[in-house]
Amino acid sequence: MTRQLAMVIDLNKCIGCQTCTLACKSQWSDRDGRQFMYWNHVETTPGQGYPRGWREAGGGWDGDRLKPGRLPRLREDYGFPADFNYDEALFREGDAPLRPTQPMLWGPNWDEDQGSGEFPNGFFFYLPRLCNHCSRPACQAACPRQAIYKRAEDGIVLIDPERCRGYRYCVAACPYKKIYFNPLAERSEKCIFCYPRLEKGIPQACAFQCVGRARHVAWRDDREGAVWKLVEEWKVALPLGPEHGTQPNVFYVPPLSPPPLDAEGRPTDAPRLPEDVLVGLFGPTVKAALARLEAEIARRQAGQPSAMIDLLIAFRHGEMFRLDRPQPKAKGQGEKS
Amino acid sequence: MDRREFLTSTGLCGLGLAFGGPLTALAAHAAPTPSGARAWEHLYRREFATTRGDSQGFAFHCSNCQGNCAWRVFAKNGRVIREEQVAAYPPVNPRIPDANPRGCNKGIVHSKEMYQGDRLLNPLRRKGRRGAGAWERISWDEALRAIAQGTVEAMTRHGLGALMVYCGTGILSQGRRAGPLRLGSLLGAQRLYPASAVGDMFTGASLAYGLATVGHSLDAWFECDAILLWGINPLVTRMPDAHYLTEARYNGARIHAISPDYTPSAKAASQWLPVKPGTDAHLAMSLLHVLLRDGHVDEAFVREQTDLPFLVRLDTGDLLRHRDLRQGGKDDLYYAWDEASGKAAPMPGTPGHFKKTLRLGEIRPALGGRFEVKGANGKPIPVAPVLELVRAEAAKFPPEATAKVTGVHPAQLERMATDFAKARKAIINIGFSLHKYVSGTMTTWAAALACALTGHAGERGGLDTENNWSLDGIGPLSSPKPARFASGFLSEWLNGDMAMTMRRHYPEAPLKAAAGYDGTDIERHVRERLERGGSYYGKPRALVLFADNMFRRNKAEVQYREAVLKDLDLFVVVNHRMDSTALWADIVLPATSHYEAWDIRGELGYHRFCNVTVPPPGLARVGEARSEWEIGLGLAQAIAAEAARRNIEAIPDPDFLAQEGDKAAPVMRDFKRLVADYTMDGKLATDADVVAWLMTNVPQIAPWTPEDARKRGFVVLSPDAGFTSPLYANRPYNSFERNVYLRQPYKTMSGRQQFFIDHPVFKKQGWSVPTATNPLRPSTYPFAFYTPHTRWGVHSQWRANAQLLRLQRGEPYVWLNPATAKAKAVAEGDRLRVFNDTGEFRARAKLMPAVPPGAVVTDHAWEPFMFEGRTGKNAVVAGLMSLIELVDGWGHLTFDPNWDGNMLAHESSVDFEKVPS
Repeated sequence: MTRQLAMVIDLNKCIGCQTCTLACKSQWSDRDGRQFMYWNHVETTPGQGYPRGWREAGGGWDGDRLKPGRLPRLREDYGFPADFNYDEALFREGDAPLRPTQPMLWGPNWDEDQGSGEFPNGFFFYLPRLCNHCSRPACQAACPRQAIYKRAEDGIVLIDPERCRGYRYCVAACPYKKIYFNPLAERSEKCIFCYPRLEKGIPQACAFQCVGRARHVAWRDDREGAVWKLVEEWKVALPLGPEHGTQPNVFYVPPLSPPPLDAEGRPTDAPRLPEDVLVGLFGPTVKAALARLEAEIARRQAGQPSAMIDLLIAFRHGEMFRLDRPQPKAKGQGEKS
Repeated sequence: MDRREFLTSTGLCGLGLAFGGPLTALAAHAAPTPSGARAWEHLYRREFATTRGDSQGFAFHCSNCQGNCAWRVFAKNGRVIREEQVAAYPPVNPRIPDANPRGCNKGIVHSKEMYQGDRLLNPLRRKGRRGAGAWERISWDEALRAIAQGTVEAMTRHGLGALMVYCGTGILSQGRRAGPLRLGSLLGAQRLYPASAVGDMFTGASLAYGLATVGHSLDAWFECDAILLWGINPLVTRMPDAHYLTEARYNGARIHAISPDYTPSAKAASQWLPVKPGTDAHLAMSLLHVLLRDGHVDEAFVREQTDLPFLVRLDTGDLLRHRDLRQGGKDDLYYAWDEASGKAAPMPGTPGHFKKTLRLGEIRPALGGRFEVKGANGKPIPVAPVLELVRAEAAKFPPEATAKVTGVHPAQLERMATDFAKARKAIINIGFSLHKYVSGTMTTWAAALACALTGHAGERGGLDTENNWSLDGIGPLSSPKPARFASGFLSEWLNGDMAMTMRRHYPEAPLKAAAGYDGTDIERHVRERLERGGSYYGKPRALVLFADNMFRRNKAEVQYREAVLKDLDLFVVVNHRMDSTALWADIVLPATSHYEAWDIRGELGYHRFCNVTVPPPGLARVGEARSEWEIGLGLAQAIAAEAARRNIEAIPDPDFLAQEGDKAAPVMRDFKRLVADYTMDGKLATDADVVAWLMTNVPQIAPWTPEDARKRGFVVLSPDAGFTSPLYANRPYNSFERNVYLRQPYKTMSGRQQFFIDHPVFKKQGWSVPTATNPLRPSTYPFAFYTPHTRWGVHSQWRANAQLLRLQRGEPYVWLNPATAKAKAVAEGDRLRVFNDTGEFRARAKLMPAVPPGAVVTDHAWEPFMFEGRTGKNAVVAGLMSLIELVDGWGHLTFDPNWDGNMLAHESSVDFEKVPS
């Protein structure tokens, strides 16, 4: 039976700083043909996202059938990893400005802080994204080489580079567009959930280095872990794009927002973030999740205790990561890190 | 592999084929059973092991974000390959979230930044005219000799003050910064006050407390019931501490974000108050209006801790003093109306009172009413408590009326006022952008008053500009002899000839109407201040600049640069990278960067940890870089040799007297002993020696030793580090506990939190109590121009980092409200010319619904070299100063680290137009 390690990302604690993006980059993707890849990135929502238009690029399941998908383009949808003319701009005669040596057309954070709506009621939030290490991975099913597998010991989805031939069916099949084709190695690559770190008891770079303390890591069946409590017990953490049918193992605590203002500038009771935007991302259960969050915050405002809020606050950074496998019968084993 | 290899090995045509287009799997294949052939998984394990390197050190990034975060640095074969937060700070207590894993998107790219193409590798000397961009590589010896010649020439020909040795805010640590400070101090060179040079003075706090930087360790946010974020965007600018805000909100705190645009922090708040740019003081006065209207006054606190009960003479507008009541009376003894005795009583704790405590004893000061006292000449003097005048002033700002000015609906203000007043603990955070408007001073003074009225101080919170720790014992290292310490904003304004752009951008009559003074008044006050002396030492003839991007940060960018360069005979820049200032230097010296030299930083009070940089063993320095300490030593040696060559043993410095017993003699600038003095007779030869010296000599670091730092990368400061309160080991730090609980007087003229200033300028302008001042931007151009701090740099540091630029758009852009853009037929990504009568710059348009109509905004500190013609966004900012901040030589408003002013960066207006791409 596959045990599954999973992640909860709290969108109320994500500050959009991209430290996770860069932690991942320096850990895995600043070399060997991966330079254009962001296995983990943060995008501003609503927006076209990264790769550009990924939400309209297909993939995922339609019942038992794979839905068609589209491959993102390197320059237009991912963005080329720009280099800059430092030497020309700074050490040569003339007044050439610092510029990318090739024009930038898109990037992982191109629509940063733009969002939607009209002043003063504009709205946006940050959505960190990585491979969801799905329980029903469309990428795996799409691979004609059977190069993609899910590890029994932790549920991490990996692409075997020795079997992969770079056909990219997986790229098209992933509804999150979180698999990247490496043109240098001519094979596909993606987030590996930092298994080499995990095997040494060190949490994922994106999670451990998150300065906003937004990420919890735990086994899905660990009843003392944040994943079980937030997903199963309190139901305030939800998968992204549940309609794709891949059963993601990365979950999100949906974002709250300050009230919008009416024509006179008076705060109203409506949510600033339109419900349909959130339902479109996280499905209809997002409404109950937001209500639950607001109710528990109200308890704290009234001076009452809330175990759920205490967990989201995360008093100890180290305790956000429960990597030790709990024994099925003995709950709450000690944590590492 | 770098990007070039990536390109050449893949080939562009190949990329076109590999990416894009529809691709559908023909069938869903059965899930494969892993064949057991998982040996390949070792590939990534090996990669991971590689990124841990073969040696490890510790570092922090000692720049002007003040975040001060401990990082572990991994090196391989003498080269840094990665960094990761140490994430091992101990918790303060079980009910406060810990501080881990401090460290942001800038720190995490430094391992790339330090080897990037803008890194300075060798000493360079310009070929051709300044700024032409042609350089020749020279040896360190050659460079140091040339600099020594120029500096000794300037000192002997034009006087000691003609040399400026200035370390900017690129280095704010105690270790690396000590080199330039010590050298300048021994030579008697002038240096600017960095906080005012960059516009970071909190003069509103200075008025109230005699202290510019007051506040909390930011874990105190977590204990709050209400937090007001005023002109501050911590989710972007205080990343390592931002979690305390989001966690405080979860914990029940009501957060009110006041800013002209919908910032990421506003997004995380309970409500956002969209104040119109520069009108904050009206909102603050309206807050006072509501608090007073609704009786939210902690009378016991106000009576004892503030000057609000002090009596004001209604005939002259001055505070009532002892000398008003008795011939030959004291100037610094103030009075309240004692309800117990029915007469005016001298207030204990005021400087002239024999009781040096705030305890009132039997006195019960009146907080309202009008009274009469008998003057020294026997005539009656009408008096009233300060609070009476405050009430009258606040009464002018009902929420409904101010809404028209501020754009903030009364319902929002009332909600904020109620949350604030009812909170057990509340903090008002004042951001660094607020005092870049002229109204910042009054906004902050009024916010301090709001805290005072409601008793928010000590454990109950209060005003927070920025907390700093008090580290003793550094003086002998950084300031062994007196230096020419110059006002930052005034010196920059004069050196940059900014009167010119002030006069042009602000026509006299409208400025007078908006501000109550005009350019002529400013210039008159500047002249008076120069006559008084003490804060300006003339334009430098030789300038040795460490880690300061002077031509980036100054207003009226182009005019400033020309004015400064015009009179410089020698211009040296010391930095680890070529910045927009180094481009104009005569000689550029390559310094080590954040990982290559020992360093220590402990004075910054967002948290209680003192971080230490311990370079990874075996780390090779980049190019010929030297540490700032070594560069200072090299300069000392070269200057001593040059002086010896000219047979100069010492220059007496008439501006400073050294006292010995009852004799005083001019301080000697002694070249024969310069090297011995610099190194403390050989004890301090290297940056490692300096850090060890500090760890041994700063009592707040005890009992920790350099060995502890070598093991962990940080130490914890002792309770003595607190400035106005103890830094208790088990609690977040709060300000003013010594005043509130021990009743020690404040460092103000009145000895109390002060909300009445009877300086002649204040009286004349109607500023004696907090009031609203108006935006000053001229109507000549239609758009307000302001430049909030960025997510992508610490000012200009890391702003040109390739990793970070890939997460932006690769070149500068300005934020426009979509409707504003549409009215000018501007679309996303269009090239714009932003201009006014001060100058112009060009950048791309980015459409942001978060930005108010009527404003042109860009996140600040793009390098000018990132713009066409190397002219940056400060080219359109005129050189304006605030008259309030020019006041000097009066009580606690006397030039020192707690009283100086700011260039008003956000008071210019602009227009823009689309230009062809």
